[in-house]
Amino acid sequence: MNQFIFGFLLLIFLALPPVAYLLESIMIVHMHMQMPLLVIAGFLMAIFFQNKFPQFFENWNHNGIPGILLFSIIMIYWMIPRAMDDALTFQTVELFKYISLPFLAGVPLRDSWQKISSKMKNAVIMIFTMIFFAMGWLYIKWPEQLCNNYLIIEQVTLGWGFLTMGVCMTIYLVYNGLVDPTAYERE
Amino acid sequence: MIQKRQTGFAFLLVLLFGFSLFYVGTDGFKAYTAETARVYNLLEEKPALPEVILEDSNGREYPISEFEGNYLFITFMYTACVDECPLLEMNMGRVYDQIPSEYIGEDILFLSISFDPEQDDPPTLDHYKNHFQADGETWRMARINDQTELNSLLKTYGVTVIPDGEGDFAHNSAFYLVDEQGRLKDIMDYTDVDSAANRVNDVLANEEEE
Repeated sequence: MNQFIFGFLLLIFLALPPVAYLLESIMIVHMHMQMPLLVIAGFLMAIFFQNKFPQFFENWNHNGIPGILLFSIIMIYWMIPRAMDDALTFQTVELFKYISLPFLAGVPLRDSWQKISSKMKNAVIMIFTMIFFAMGWLYIKWPEQLCNNYLIIEQVTLGWGFLTMGVCMTIYLVYNGLVDPTAYERE
Repeated sequence: MIQKRQTGFAFLLVLLFGFSLFYVGTDGFKAYTAETARVYNLLEEKPALPEVILEDSNGREYPISEFEGNYLFITFMYTACVDECPLLEMNMGRVYDQIPSEYIGEDILFLSISFDPEQDDPPTLDHYKNHFQADGETWRMARINDQTELNSLLKTYGVTVIPDGEGDFAHNSAFYLVDEQGRLKDIMDYTDVDSAANRVNDVLANEEEE
């Protein structure tokens, strides 16, 4: 229950106009800090919904696949350059951001992550790694402004942010593939 | 078994939702950046020019509606710009050169509008226009002194201008073609001079036939 309150407070905090304005004024912070924090807020709040409607998750997200798909769709949608611009231009899109990232990405991620197999987990991370490298390359190499609200230099910074995250996830995948944790456990 | 079926159903539902989300969010998979969306929507809308007062490089002041009855070929720039605008204006000059001379000044006028009225006074504009061999008559450079009018024009055409606080601006660039009634006719890629010139010539030739 504590987690729900933390998540809820985090969501409220992020929705405060000065906080939202500050985070959205810098492109990389908008995408790589505000948006993940919104997902985390949902992730923390998920426990409440899981306790309240266990049957719903059990029936509709039995194997975790619909949830992880929903999570991926929402995440990828918010990587479209236009989505970020639209969030700054249209109030409704901004509202959709504050609803979709916590409740349609954070909540299903938590419910699905414990249900899907480790192979599936790795596949999801691999897909996002590839997407991050592609987005990084796109944001760095694109000669024009992709977002009308942000300067090209911010776009390049965001691109490097994507690449850095991609590298981190690759390291994790390699580590995961090479190291067998049970070998280090005491009998 | 029921769970399996419901989960399968949920999977399809999520797919459908994702498809709709991307469809709506990109205007039917057409516009992935706000810039393409802007152009796409403007061409649907064909907005009319708002009423603005221009002050040109000769210091003359007149409303933009004075050009009604002529096509207008418009760009938005500022003279202190070092990267994009010189290219934009140079390419504008190359389009100008490709329009048959009988149309120039008769059916179509070229107009470069500065969004930096503080710096771009008539002498500055006059100096700038000479760089591009603009004659100041059939190709004019002008500023809009009233900030509200300027903003409304920029907003109508979806020109986003972000001042960097040091006298420079980040902005989007394009060629705008306005018809004789003062309504937006087309938005063209300013880096593709030949296509833009062909388009303008087509429009002007069609006009003559009618």
